[in-house]
Amino acid sequence: MSANTWLATGNFYTTYKQEQKTFFTSLDRSVFTFFLIILFAWPLFFPLSNKFMLVIDNTLIAVVAVMGLNLVTGFAGLISIGHAAFVGIGAYTVASFCRTMGDTHIIITHFWPLMIILSGLVGAGFGAIVGLPALRLKHLYLAIATLSFQMIFQWVINFMTFFNQGQTISVGRVFWFTGKVGRKDHYFFWYYAILVVVILLGFGFRNLLKTRYGRCLIAVRDNDRAADAMGINPGLTKVYAFALAGFFAGVAGALHAYVYRGVGFESFTLHESIGYLAMAIVGGLGTLNGSFWGPVFIKFLDLQMEHLSEAIGQYLPSGMNLTTAMKPFTFGLVIVLFLMYESRGIANWWRITKSYTKLWPFRY
Amino acid sequence: MSYFFQIVVSGIVVGSIYALAALGLVLVYKSSRVANFAHGQIIAAGAFITYFLTVTLAIPIFFSFLASMIITFFLAMSVERIFLRRLIGEPIISVIMVTIGLGSILDGLIYLTPFGSENFSFPTFLPHEPLSFGGVSISWTQLVGVIITFILIGGFSWFFKKSTVGISMRAVSDDQFASMSVGISVPKVFGLAWATAGLSAAAAGCIIGNITGLNFDTLHSFGIVVFPVIILGGLDSILGAVVAGIIMGLIQQFASGYLDGNFGLFGTGDVMPYIILLIILLFKPHGLFGIHEIERV
Repeated sequence: MSANTWLATGNFYTTYKQEQKTFFTSLDRSVFTFFLIILFAWPLFFPLSNKFMLVIDNTLIAVVAVMGLNLVTGFAGLISIGHAAFVGIGAYTVASFCRTMGDTHIIITHFWPLMIILSGLVGAGFGAIVGLPALRLKHLYLAIATLSFQMIFQWVINFMTFFNQGQTISVGRVFWFTGKVGRKDHYFFWYYAILVVVILLGFGFRNLLKTRYGRCLIAVRDNDRAADAMGINPGLTKVYAFALAGFFAGVAGALHAYVYRGVGFESFTLHESIGYLAMAIVGGLGTLNGSFWGPVFIKFLDLQMEHLSEAIGQYLPSGMNLTTAMKPFTFGLVIVLFLMYESRGIANWWRITKSYTKLWPFRY
Repeated sequence: MSYFFQIVVSGIVVGSIYALAALGLVLVYKSSRVANFAHGQIIAAGAFITYFLTVTLAIPIFFSFLASMIITFFLAMSVERIFLRRLIGEPIISVIMVTIGLGSILDGLIYLTPFGSENFSFPTFLPHEPLSFGGVSISWTQLVGVIITFILIGGFSWFFKKSTVGISMRAVSDDQFASMSVGISVPKVFGLAWATAGLSAAAAGCIIGNITGLNFDTLHSFGIVVFPVIILGGLDSILGAVVAGIIMGLIQQFASGYLDGNFGLFGTGDVMPYIILLIILLFKPHGLFGIHEIERV
C-alpha cells in the first residue's frame, strides 16, 4: 500500500486481504461519507412537495431493481426481459397478505421490514424457478424464455380473482416508533426507508463481488466452460444469479407496494421490464454505480420530457399527441444513442473522471 | 362438429398471418443473427402507410399495398444501414436492446400521428357476406388474406431457393467467411435481408389491418407474439415459420374456443403461445426445423 492514504496513483496490493477492502483510499471513504450525509440531510433543509418526493422514491426503488438486473444481466451475462415480473412478484407478495388478512393487519403495518425481506425471499424463489431454463438455454433463447415468463405473469395477475384481476389492491399505512406515518410524511418517511435499503443492498452487492459467490458470476459470464474447469458449477451459478436478481426485485416490489400504498398490474408490464433493462444499460451493465446513474438518468429524463411536452403541446394542433409520443421517442433514442456511442454507459464517464482526478494536475 | 371446423378455419387464418409476420423475423435472424424486437412497429407502419395512401391520397388499394411494401423495404434497409451495421460483433444484449430502442422510437413517431391512438378500418372492397360451407363460414377478407399470404410465402421460398440474391443470403447465413471469399458482400446481404423483412412486414400489416381493423396496439403486439412462433419453428427456417405459425394459430384458437369460459378461465388464447414456448424451450429448444446449435451448459 502506498504511504499516502489519501491519494493513490495505482493499486499496490500485497495481500488479498487488501484487495477486499471496501474503500481503497481515505479520499474514497470521505467522498462516500460526504455523499451519504448529503443524501440523508437534504430533505430536512429543502423540503419538496409530495409529488417530487414520489419521483425520488420511485427512482430509488428502480435503483434497487436495477441492482438485481445488473447482477443477472450485467455480471452473470444472462439477459432477462422479465425483470418487472419479479418486481411484481415482490409487490404481489405484500398484496396477497393484504388480501388474506386485510390491508391494516399488524403484519403489514408494524412488521413491514419483515414483509420486505419476505417479499425478497419469495422473489428469489421465483427467480430460481425461472432461472431453471438457463440450465439448457443461452443468449437469445434465454431472453425469450424470460419474456414468456413475463407474459405468463401478466396473464396470471389479470386472470386470478385473488389478485383482484390486476385492479389496485390497497396496502395500509405503516407505523414507525412515533406512531402511524401520516399522509404528509409518507413519501418523506419512505425516502429514508428506501435509502437505508439501497445502502444496505449496495454494500451487500459490493461485498458479494469480492467473494467467491460474486466472482463465480463473472467467471460464468466470461466463459462458462473455463469456469466449469475451475470447479464452478455453471448451471447452479446461473440459477443462483436469477435467484439473487429475484431477491433484489422482490425487495423493490415490496417497497413499491408500500410507497404507492397499492399494487396494480400496470406497474409490472413488459414495458417496465424494458425500462429496467434500459436503465441498466444507460447506467452501465456490469457496474455497481451504473445501477444508480441509470435510473436517475432515465427517471429525470422522463420528468423533463413531461414538462417539455406540456410546454410545447400548447402550440401544436390538437391532433398531435405529443405527450404520449415524446416519452417512447426519447426513451428509444437514449437507448440507441448510448448503445451506439457509449455502450459502457454513464459508469464509464464516472470511471474516466475518477482516473483523471487521480493524476491531476499531471497527465500521461 | 361445425364449431370444431369453424375453429380450425379461424386457426388457419390467424396462423397464416402469424406465419407471414414471423417470416420477416426469420429472414433477419437467418442472415444476420439479430432478433428484431421492432418488427411489430414495422408491421404497424406498413399498415398505416397503406391506409394513408388508400384513404387520404385515394390511390387504389392494390397500388398502395405495393407502394407501402416498397416504402417499408427502404425503411427497414435504412434502419439496418444506420443503426444495426455499427453493431456487428457487439454482444447480443446490445443488439436486442437497440432493436427495442428502435421499436420505441417508431412507437413515438407513430404516436405523433393520429394513427397512434384511434381506430381505423380499411375501406371494404370485397363482398360483405361470408362464404359458408356446411355451417363453417369464412369472410372474403380472411379468404383473400390467406390466399395472398400463401402466395407471398411461396414467392419468398422461391426467392430463397432459386434467385441469386436468395442463394447468397442463404450462403451468408451458413458461413459468413466462406461467402465473403466467393465474393458475396455480406453487409449488402444484411441490408437486403432487413429490406425483405420490411417488405413482408408491410404485407402482413395490410392483411392484419384488413382482417382485424387498424389499431396500433393490436398491430404492434404481433411483434412480440411472433417470438413463440419462430422458436417453435426453429429460429432460421422459413418452412418452420409457416408450419409453426399455423400450429400456433390453431392452438390459440382451440384454447380460446374450448378453454375460455369452461373452467373459469379466460384469455387463454393470449397466454397459450407463451406456455407452449416455455415447453418447447425446455424440451426441444431448436424448434421443429431449426438447426441443432444449442449447447448444454
